[in-house]
Amino acid sequence: MGRYISRQLASIIPTILLSIVLNFMLLHAAPGDPARVMAGKDNPSEEQIEAIRKSLGLDQPLPVQFWKYVKELAQGNLGQSITYKQPVFDLIMQRLPATLLLTVTSAVLALSIGTLLGVIAAQKSGRPVDSALSFSNYALFAIPSFWLGLIMIVIFSSKLGWLPTSGMRTVRADYTGWRDKLDVLQHLVLPVATLALVQIPIYFRITRASVQLQQREDYVTTFRATGIPEPRVFRRYALRNALLPTVTVFGLGLGFVFTGAALVEIVFAWPGIGRLTLDAVFRRDYPLLLGVYLVLAIAVSVAVLLTDIVYALLDPRIRLR
Amino acid sequence: MAESLLTNEAAVLPTAPRRESRIRAFWRPFVASRMGPIGLGILICVALCALLAGVIAPDGPFKLGAPRLIGPGEQGHLLGTDHLGRDMLAQLVYGARVSLTIGLVAASISLFVGVVIGSVAGYFGGWVDLVLSRLTDMFLIIPAFFLIIVVVATLGSGIGYVMVVIGLTAWPTSARLMRAQTLSLRERTFIQALRALGESGPRILFRHIVPNGIQPLIANASLDIASAILIEAGLSFIGLGDPNKATWGRMIFDGRTTILTAWWASVLPGIAIIVTVLGFYLVGDGISYVLSPRSRKVSK
Repeated sequence: MGRYISRQLASIIPTILLSIVLNFMLLHAAPGDPARVMAGKDNPSEEQIEAIRKSLGLDQPLPVQFWKYVKELAQGNLGQSITYKQPVFDLIMQRLPATLLLTVTSAVLALSIGTLLGVIAAQKSGRPVDSALSFSNYALFAIPSFWLGLIMIVIFSSKLGWLPTSGMRTVRADYTGWRDKLDVLQHLVLPVATLALVQIPIYFRITRASVQLQQREDYVTTFRATGIPEPRVFRRYALRNALLPTVTVFGLGLGFVFTGAALVEIVFAWPGIGRLTLDAVFRRDYPLLLGVYLVLAIAVSVAVLLTDIVYALLDPRIRLR
Repeated sequence: MAESLLTNEAAVLPTAPRRESRIRAFWRPFVASRMGPIGLGILICVALCALLAGVIAPDGPFKLGAPRLIGPGEQGHLLGTDHLGRDMLAQLVYGARVSLTIGLVAASISLFVGVVIGSVAGYFGGWVDLVLSRLTDMFLIIPAFFLIIVVVATLGSGIGYVMVVIGLTAWPTSARLMRAQTLSLRERTFIQALRALGESGPRILFRHIVPNGIQPLIANASLDIASAILIEAGLSFIGLGDPNKATWGRMIFDGRTTILTAWWASVLPGIAIIVTVLGFYLVGDGISYVLSPRSRKVSK
């Protein structure tokens, strides 16, 4: 197991390095002087530009600059946000909990519902239930998350008045303790529902295909032939094996969740990474934008690594390969 | 992963039918898939709207002058007007052009890159395979949408950039499929025979292996088109779309502030996106069905 983990670990390092290189290249590919880009578009003073140029070492050859950039990164220094006048790293860390709350809750919900529906569809393979479920899942997967969010707000907040329209807490209410938690929960319902709905198809598709595949396997036929009752064959053997791929998809799906979450956060004014990204885009806050991207790339790589390890724990065949 | 599992069954090559024309051999299981023909019907309608945009709306998408936010059917505006008094129908049909162009171009780029990287990795093996496969895995993991945002925000949001950037981030799935296809084709007798006859590597690869192994990638390309359309809509929604084009994503963004008083301004473009994307998903489903072993009984 130790060898497996170290091998997987070695495989995500290039991914992180690639992200860093891409980030560095983008900074230099941007039209104009990188120092001017880093300083933002609203007429930075010459001293500011000079300071940035010095800190980035822009007068030195590219490899030297890259080395400096990596060294700064290693110390957790992603630069200073232009609009917030705070270190980028701190800004991201402040917003991360809200985004995690949204993404993890919705991913777990989607995983449960999608897997359940996928199993049902696979068992009724080829029948109207299967066709109906498959069609609705395609339809669901075709809905842009931000649009669904808007529609949710119109129906459940504006027309029915059941839930708050936006934000994470009621403004100026200053609740504490359990009342505060309840308040956050109320604000959480719509964004989580939106994000969960658009993710359900991912788990539905993989589960349906995987269950169908397992039911055709030789060992299942053998169990059937030995007279083990069908529900038992299915629940004890086929289903357990069929659910393994969902674990991997859960890890790989995280990139998708962050994407969906960013757009949903914007619609619901949820104070997470997505809003931060949007602000950075609108205000041309490049250090912030590049920082968000890098942190996300690293976070997703680590998440994929963790899923691989979980997968290996669940399925010994993977470790031995 | 999701795709590779789904297409594993599709990776089995259909044997060439003898007396039946290729089109009919494709068409019958495609119809039997049920999803495929529905999707194709949808796409034909959307494509007609895009092609006939100039006929449906001779004044173009940006003509001003009508009252703002009038409802569907009022004063000769079939689908109403937006917050600047522009005709909704005109914007929607011109938006179809943008979405279809972006989808097709981005998916072609990703298909091309995926085929080249995947087939070279699979055919040559060894360290070439190692390097290319690692690169593929890396791009599979990187959160593409954020990379696209960063690139478009720094380099500019012209439609050309958007298409190229989406295409260059979407290829890993195609590359994986093509690599798997190449690995299995490489060992087949006819390829071995060509090699024995002294045919050059690149020639075998691009004249024989790629044409024989590309089918599963076509189903995947349909999904790529769909996701490119969704990505562009997302970009337009956060203000990174091409400012000179009428796009569905931007229409939703423009209409969102008035959604309570004038629902059509943002609901209609949303429906346009859903219907189009659904069309591509369903066609993709139909093609996978044709390529899967299940469909054999139908085509016989």
